[in-house]
Amino acid sequence: MSDKKKRYAMLIDLRKCVGCNACAVACKSENDVPLGVWRSWVKKVEKGQYPDSKEFFLPAVCNNCERPICVTVCPVNAGIKRPDGIVYIDPHRCIGCRYCMASCPYGVRYINPRKKIAEKCYWCHHRVDAGLKPACVLACPTGAITFGDLNDPRSDIAKAVAKNAVQVIKPEMGTDPQTFYIGLEQSAVEAKKIKEE
Amino acid sequence: MDTQVLYNIFHQDAFGFNIAMYIYLTGVSAGSFILSTLAYGFGLSQYKPLGKVGVVVATVVLIIAPLFLLFHVGMPYRAWHLFIYLNMASPITWGSFLLILYPINCVIYGYFMFKENMKLTRIFGLIGIPLAVSVHGYTGFILAFGKARALWNTALMPILFLVSAVISGIALMILVFIVKERFFSKEEKIDLKLVFSLGKLLAWMIVFDLFLVACDLIVLSISHSDAQAAAHLLLRGKFSFLFLVVENLLGKIVPFILLTVPKLRTLATTIVASILVVIGIFFMRYVVVLAGEYLPLL
Repeated sequence: MSDKKKRYAMLIDLRKCVGCNACAVACKSENDVPLGVWRSWVKKVEKGQYPDSKEFFLPAVCNNCERPICVTVCPVNAGIKRPDGIVYIDPHRCIGCRYCMASCPYGVRYINPRKKIAEKCYWCHHRVDAGLKPACVLACPTGAITFGDLNDPRSDIAKAVAKNAVQVIKPEMGTDPQTFYIGLEQSAVEAKKIKEE
Repeated sequence: MDTQVLYNIFHQDAFGFNIAMYIYLTGVSAGSFILSTLAYGFGLSQYKPLGKVGVVVATVVLIIAPLFLLFHVGMPYRAWHLFIYLNMASPITWGSFLLILYPINCVIYGYFMFKENMKLTRIFGLIGIPLAVSVHGYTGFILAFGKARALWNTALMPILFLVSAVISGIALMILVFIVKERFFSKEEKIDLKLVFSLGKLLAWMIVFDLFLVACDLIVLSISHSDAQAAAHLLLRGKFSFLFLVVENLLGKIVPFILLTVPKLRTLATTIVASILVVIGIFFMRYVVVLAGEYLPLL
């Protein structure tokens, strides 16, 4: 055990991602996510003209930012950033004002249609606290997702982040996201409607 | 390079009609309050007949406005959390106190005005001005803090909101004043000089508002790609009709012409212009709130 404090982080290696949606399904069942809303999903983008084309994937989860704007703007302090970096929402405190949804640059938050409060991915902190990996990490058949303590130099994720060129989504937002990607395709991050008008 | 999004998830809009309506009503309230203090706070005696109308409109509208917030939030009976679990970094927390202090001040100010206590009316009128400016200005900060939405994330937002608040306040005051003078006063005669002087004030505030909107659009259309997309959405995209025709042509340019061209200046055209402004500013709130979050983030 190092005496440095923990900083959990996630690394998604898009070279290994096959776009199977196993992470999204595992997340739904683990967290009891209602119909119509998703805590994690796989955005799919096709580049080029068939047959000279390729699909690119962007598994989207909460970035559990180091400087989360959602926590800054929450009027009732329901958004909480834990010392180990996980950002979660206190379900007993949230009033459902949706300000966090309006301010999040990544659109990962939703209103639970039954509970009427904001929810999002928090890296399965109930599992992490029990010493388990988040559900999506276990479900990924190609092992594309790595999760762990970035401040522990011997952890898998610290080694992988140190040795690879990693990217984050929208670094210009100044939120310092802690979900890292290897091989992020630019056009997969760009905001675009599915059907152009 | 051809790229095409095959699959993505979009969650529902954060803010909708209720928030647009709330912002609109606080704007009307702040605008009429400021107009009411012209006579009682700053001593411009030609506006004296507006004092009482203004404070009544400001108070009534501001009591209705937070109801739309309660319709909006998912857990309205947890609203007391806003006063217990404070986060001073959040504009909503600033707002929850302003929404308590401002109506209380309005009531006290109105009470002394109806009691003809000029000294205290003046004091509470002058206290009320920063409160009125803040109670509407903070809604601009709410949107401006949405930093991924190019249309909202501009320092112009609070001032743009304040100017359009004053416009909608003046327009509603003209209408309420005409109705009050025509039907609820002893003389049943409308002070046309005052109406036209308000119309003139309205016309020049419209020019200032159009200037701010133009500043916003010009910078948006040159700025980063999200901002350009937002400018395109307003000028050519889904919101172009509401933005160009309803908000700016019918809501600002037509009333400006009706109010400034001397041949057109009659009671009827002033009423038409005020109605157009009142509707136009509502669509300004609607377009800002809904167009701001129309573009996807990921």
